[in-house]
Amino acid sequence: MPLLQKPLVVDKFRSFHDYVKANDGKIGLKQRGLDINLNNACNLKCEHCFTLSPKGLHAKDRFPIEKIKEIGDQADQLGIFEIDLQGGELLLDQNYLYSVLKALKTERFYVYVTTNGFFMTKEVAENLFELGVDRVSVSIDSIDPDTHDKFRGKKGSWERAIKALEYVKEAGMSPYLNITVGRYNVDSEDLKLLLDYSKDNRYTTLLNVATPGGMWASMHEICINDDDREHLIAMRKKYKNILRNLWDPFDRNREGVIGCNTINRLYITPIGDVLPCPYVHIKIGNIFEQTLQEISENGFRVKYFREYSEKCLAGEDRDFINNYMAKGNTTIFNPKNYEDLFGEDEIFKDKVSLPAKPMG
Amino acid sequence: MDDLLRIYQDAFVEAFELADKSTLADLKYQSIEEWDSIGHMALMAELESGFNITIKTEDLIQFESYVQGVEILSRYDVHIKI
Repeated sequence: MPLLQKPLVVDKFRSFHDYVKANDGKIGLKQRGLDINLNNACNLKCEHCFTLSPKGLHAKDRFPIEKIKEIGDQADQLGIFEIDLQGGELLLDQNYLYSVLKALKTERFYVYVTTNGFFMTKEVAENLFELGVDRVSVSIDSIDPDTHDKFRGKKGSWERAIKALEYVKEAGMSPYLNITVGRYNVDSEDLKLLLDYSKDNRYTTLLNVATPGGMWASMHEICINDDDREHLIAMRKKYKNILRNLWDPFDRNREGVIGCNTINRLYITPIGDVLPCPYVHIKIGNIFEQTLQEISENGFRVKYFREYSEKCLAGEDRDFINNYMAKGNTTIFNPKNYEDLFGEDEIFKDKVSLPAKPMG
Repeated sequence: MDDLLRIYQDAFVEAFELADKSTLADLKYQSIEEWDSIGHMALMAELESGFNITIKTEDLIQFESYVQGVEILSRYDVHIKI
């Protein structure tokens, strides 16, 4: 659905645009999104899964619909304009996903579903569109079907993923091709071909940098380096359809970095724990015990989450990774509490005032 | 060309990185890759700064083409002749 058909979202998106412009191109304390892991069950066994779905962790836990309504209201009050529903694999239980979408009141948000595409059909895509989904992000690891299938642990998953993107486009939603990039593929011919494929089909490419967490915990060699980061900026300029969440989407020169989105884009696990982002496995609150506003204000008290970082803390900032992510076998279901992890000099005492929601 | 028209056209050229002005009359929201929701915000910002106005959300939503934009800007006392 074109964003302009959702006036409530346009208001918030505009407010985000104006804030970033006025804040020297930096995201600052502006809340932008929620990544909600509704249910961690998955049909694939991906090598890099950051939620440990292949191990079956918390596969039966899922968000109560009533709580989704409440989170939607709270998010809207904070001016949050985008919500990414993810898992696990949410198309395993389509009726539950449809109920969530109805409860969320999608006219208030730019809504996307992240999926491996395996269970996407024409009918499912049409249902998602009707329920107000704006974009579907499908994860693809290689232009080579066998490489993708091996990585995902299931034959035929590449073909289904590619077909899913076509269904999404036909249904009127925005197809996004999600690619994880690390040292192992950042300057490979395979990545180039995948970027070409996305561009040729008029999809948008979302790059997520590989992070040493989940199934890849302790694999620090996957992290991109400074040269790789520059290379990605060069790709951004060349292809023009590539996004990273920390890049400034409004910068016409395609060089600006709004900064790491920790806290600005909160991640909520199926048991309600709230993390600064999907990849930083540090708990800053629980949505069943606190409001999103309280949790956000707490999160911004942490120096590293409040201050500007041009690097993704979880995937690029070696100091942060070594000092805070490589300790104690943390996972999304076993996160370290922020107050136990950071010292007094790393947590600000003052209360944060979040930017106001635009008056509609 | 009068100044208002030049500012109007420059806003599109700047926001969407157009090579020239020859295709402006045909431009519509989502008719080119660059005019997506993010490009739309860039265009609105260019127009607001070029004409020193603040575009209301309801007008921003209705602004779906180069031609239609002329009518919308007239609501702000910006009268462009194309």
